[in-house]
Amino acid sequence: MHSLSAIEIRDKFLRGEISAVTIVETFLKRIEKYDHEVGAFLAVFNERAIQQAKKLDEKRKAGHKLGKLAGVPIAIKDNIHVKGELSTCASKFLTNYRAPFDATVTRLLEAEDAIIIGKTNLDEFAMGSSTENSALQKTRNPWNLKCTPGGSSGGSAAAVAARFCPLAFGSDTGGSVRLPASFCGIVGYKPTYGRVSRYGLVAFGSSLDQIGPFATTTADAALLMEVVGRHCEHDSTSLDAPQEDYLSSFNGDIKGMRIGVPWQFLEQLAEEPKQVFSAALEKLKSLGAEIVDVDLSILKYSIAVYYILATAEASTNLARFDGIRYGQRSARAKTLDEVYDFSKEEGYGPEVKRRILLGTYVLSAGYKDSYYKKAQQVRTLTIQQFKGIFQKCDLVALPTSPFTAFEIGAIKDPLQLYLEDIYTIAANLAGLPAVSIPEGFSRDGKPLGMQLIGPQKQDVRVLKAANAFEKVTDYHKALPELAK
Amino acid sequence: MSNLDKEAIHNLIKLSRIECSEEEQARLLKDLEKILVYIEQLQEVDTANVSPCNQVLEGACNVMREDEVRDIMPRELFLSNAPSQVGGMIRVPPVIKSN
Repeated sequence: MHSLSAIEIRDKFLRGEISAVTIVETFLKRIEKYDHEVGAFLAVFNERAIQQAKKLDEKRKAGHKLGKLAGVPIAIKDNIHVKGELSTCASKFLTNYRAPFDATVTRLLEAEDAIIIGKTNLDEFAMGSSTENSALQKTRNPWNLKCTPGGSSGGSAAAVAARFCPLAFGSDTGGSVRLPASFCGIVGYKPTYGRVSRYGLVAFGSSLDQIGPFATTTADAALLMEVVGRHCEHDSTSLDAPQEDYLSSFNGDIKGMRIGVPWQFLEQLAEEPKQVFSAALEKLKSLGAEIVDVDLSILKYSIAVYYILATAEASTNLARFDGIRYGQRSARAKTLDEVYDFSKEEGYGPEVKRRILLGTYVLSAGYKDSYYKKAQQVRTLTIQQFKGIFQKCDLVALPTSPFTAFEIGAIKDPLQLYLEDIYTIAANLAGLPAVSIPEGFSRDGKPLGMQLIGPQKQDVRVLKAANAFEKVTDYHKALPELAK
Repeated sequence: MSNLDKEAIHNLIKLSRIECSEEEQARLLKDLEKILVYIEQLQEVDTANVSPCNQVLEGACNVMREDEVRDIMPRELFLSNAPSQVGGMIRVPPVIKSN
């Protein structure tokens, strides 16, 4: 049962072939058996999940109407609030912080009868590309336990890849859903900026952050989008647009669709990932899509722009962790200033400190124009270049990452790690919807992902094309050893 | 353009209110220098007459609401996360010196 999709599990439950308690127990047993090797979860909701499942079984017996996610277990990244449960952000600062309210996504999931099964590991405050920056534990890639799952939503990606649950949520500021999805061989989706409410997501880079789903199929990801992709009055950046209907458009027909590929930007790509990506493009062609060469030369500056804007925003957002109202307060602090200084020193890991300092620097007097303003101007150019391309093309295709999953501890230089996100960051800068779908494997058996990026608000188009690709491939069906 | 040095790092640490050991400051200086060299490449982009991005979404505008009390979190619930509290209030070290 564990390898079924969310929709298949839900339908079995709705048909009465399986109880919600059995579903939850099956996945909890897998977590108990394998998660000491993978390390995906920071908290597993054994009792809470079973209680919810029991209620759901009763609800079904009584003949009440059941939700779109009835009986489906789902994991949540530990920077998204589930009321009454810890939200640690994998930081020592928030080790004991209990969410006093539900995130909007949590509320919407539970309203559709999903069962939240636990909270997953991440890079501290979602800052990283490998989940190695978690202050709490290591997460390993289910395909190769020596490797990272990618990041920052590495726990959620590993949980779905290991089939500890069919669905999970992560957050994506510069690729933090798509990169781990690529490393772990599953579907990861970053919606249009504002499509999913961020109420209850601990803020990192507010002009970039977006919550997004992980799933084993595009249909499951689309189902989650139908549940959470709606306007929310608690988030002032929430898109005021009607809910989209995804699944009904999944007819596999992408004939005549024009897909742009910025070949010049991909010159540096190594031989193997280039071959796998090219083969994936051939598949799209065989479905009747037209592949056209496009100029996205501005993308070469994405990382520089990102590390100015994301750190500037982070330094502002993280100022709230002062050791006064919530979080850890240093026991050494004797004065108010020491409360701030020592609590932050003890609470933050090295990467978080690095980014706060960098963000403070690029915003400081004398440097703001040459860094922050310049970056915002190049961001405008990035948005414009995409806009120009989308007048000629329906979608843009890119590899999700230049590499497959790398070994834990292999990349020590922070800048080197930033470069992992070279292909994912632009979608955040321009607010575009982008999916990563399994496109093949390397010779040493590690998954690779392809990214499809669409114009703002064209979330349905992106997932529809990904679904058409999935229909004629079977990479998404491959299972890591511990899930067979 | 960047002239990051020990003093600049010291100043940044003060601005961000993060206590840092000398050793950590030296490490941060090295890391930040490297990152700033990388970021420097932005200067080669011609941005004359390009306005800085201030809205990601096309057509987005500021969203306002009435300034009214809503969604009140019960005091006990809020305080349950406070590191130190007394009599329904958050306790902090004294900020006014007594003579």
